[in-house]
Amino acid sequence: MSSVTTQIEDERPSSLWRDAWKRLRRNKLALTGLGVIAVLVIFAAFGPWLTPYDFLSQNLDARNLAPSLSHPFGTDDLGRDVASRVIYGARTAFLVAVLVTAIALAIGVLLGAIAGFYGGTFDKVLMWVTDMTMSVPQLLLVVVINASLKQPITLWMEARYLATMNPIWRNGAIIDFALVFGSMAIISWPPYARLVRAQVLSIRNRPYVTAARALGLTNRLILMRYVLPNAMGALIVAVSAGLGTAMVLESAFSFLGVGVNPPTPSWGNMISDGLRVWTNYPHLLVAPAAVLAVVTVAFNFLGDGLNDALNPKGQK
Amino acid sequence: MTALLDIKGLTIDIARDTGPARVVDGIDLVVNEGESLGIVGESGCGKSLTMLSLVGLLPNRIKATGGTAQFGGADLLKMSPRELRKLRGAEIGFIFQDPMTSLNPVMRIGDQIAEALIYQTGMAKPAALTRAGELLELVGIPSPRDRLMSYPHELSGGMRQRVMIAIGLAGSPRLLIADEPTTALDVTIQAQIVDLVRELKDRLNMAVVWITHDLALIAGLADRIAVLYAGTVVEDAPVSTIFEKPSHPYTRGLLGSLPTLTDQPMSRLPSIGGTPPEPGRRPPGCPFAPRCALAIAACSAAVPRLTAVPGSDPRHRVACIVTTGQSEAAA
Repeated sequence: MSSVTTQIEDERPSSLWRDAWKRLRRNKLALTGLGVIAVLVIFAAFGPWLTPYDFLSQNLDARNLAPSLSHPFGTDDLGRDVASRVIYGARTAFLVAVLVTAIALAIGVLLGAIAGFYGGTFDKVLMWVTDMTMSVPQLLLVVVINASLKQPITLWMEARYLATMNPIWRNGAIIDFALVFGSMAIISWPPYARLVRAQVLSIRNRPYVTAARALGLTNRLILMRYVLPNAMGALIVAVSAGLGTAMVLESAFSFLGVGVNPPTPSWGNMISDGLRVWTNYPHLLVAPAAVLAVVTVAFNFLGDGLNDALNPKGQK
Repeated sequence: MTALLDIKGLTIDIARDTGPARVVDGIDLVVNEGESLGIVGESGCGKSLTMLSLVGLLPNRIKATGGTAQFGGADLLKMSPRELRKLRGAEIGFIFQDPMTSLNPVMRIGDQIAEALIYQTGMAKPAALTRAGELLELVGIPSPRDRLMSYPHELSGGMRQRVMIAIGLAGSPRLLIADEPTTALDVTIQAQIVDLVRELKDRLNMAVVWITHDLALIAGLADRIAVLYAGTVVEDAPVSTIFEKPSHPYTRGLLGSLPTLTDQPMSRLPSIGGTPPEPGRRPPGCPFAPRCALAIAACSAAVPRLTAVPGSDPRHRVACIVTTGQSEAAA
């Protein structure tokens, strides 16, 4: 009976995605990357139930402890468990990476698709905007956005607090996240827009799009059902690489103090803290830095593997 | 016979940096209801552009600049893009040259056919899928219900062209335009596709315009043949007349260059010397005159018009002043 079921399973038509998955499964590095990311996602999602200690609880009797069985990554200068903070840092990193990529992707796909498909003035203006955004160093742009917007927003929120007495307006983490998401999305969407535009430009003249036109389908339908689905492969590869980049960026900004601020743990601000004391307590620097490095490499392996799996004919 | 499509004086220009270049220069063509017309000509003679211009599918920079094209009581060339879009698929179906790339690779066959039906007839999805299965059966695909779930890459070229035909037929068009649909296929599959289209034409009572450069292939399919050269119709006649009494020197040259079973082995096939004029650089008068063995001085004086051939079928018309004897009348 079971063999019959298997056979039927095998006879299901192989789709593009099924084929890609088959190819990806043969790629050990990409699978390793996927595994690392999966473990991290689990930690990020279920962190509060997995960590032995609360990431904020201080124990001044146990400061700067070296790694041990009860504290695998040791404790920091306030006696907080570093392992718990790294796990919470994964939460911050994934939250920022996923949200920033989602916002950037939404803007990039929408504008890039419209520009590539319809062309004209909109296309020209969009290319100017992306060129301009991409010509400014990313770190500089984010620092400028944060520096110029943080104070006005803080003042405005304080005013809201005084008017409503609702404590949510005094939650500094909200400003941090909003500014991080916002400024990172601003520097992240242009590459997606350009990628989608380039894909759409090449796909919109393929014979099956002409065939769809000859069927009298509307432009919107052709774009949604014929053009964009065929751009998915390239987009998935870009997103996989983009998630890794977004994590590194978030850490970089937090490291510089323009991103997520303490006490919210972020790998970036942990590295920053660790760097000040690394000669005496190297574990405070090594733990977050090592995790960040491993995750970045994992995303790169996965992106490479996806690229090979989705573009089997691609020149390599 | 009533005319389904009546093209008069159609001109098409390519916008170039140096100014417009004419690629189609005053084509007159009639397609009657239920008739199958073969359009023959070499690459770049404007066969495909003529047909694409009718439904507003010309590439950017290429525009129909003159003439009329009456279809069902309206001029196609004056219609808005929106009106043309409604016409495409529903009234005028298309089959394209390359079945390997003319299907969306990420969409199941059934969904692609159903999409056309849902869009054109407002059918619900389940009903459209059922109808898609019937269409696949109509075009001779074995176990059509299973094939609905297939992706294009799982089908052979011949099968894909059958799917393309099914999609072309989805809106029950009155006119099916087949743009070199067999060029990418094996010879045996070509014959199958030709038979299929001929059979469907009779069964569904639609007119077929078959664009090709393969005279031998079209002989078994078309009622009438129009020969195009450099953007003009040079000869237009019932298929038997074209093969038995070709009148235009170009048509004669085309037929003369066909291989036959009685040819001497290893002998060279005759060919027409020279090349067709580039768009925008057509010679004055008859565009074929520079390559024509029969050309006389008068040929370069004025563009010859399609006129009836004396002593032939009444539908036989040719644009040549020499073979119709007009040059002697003028002299």
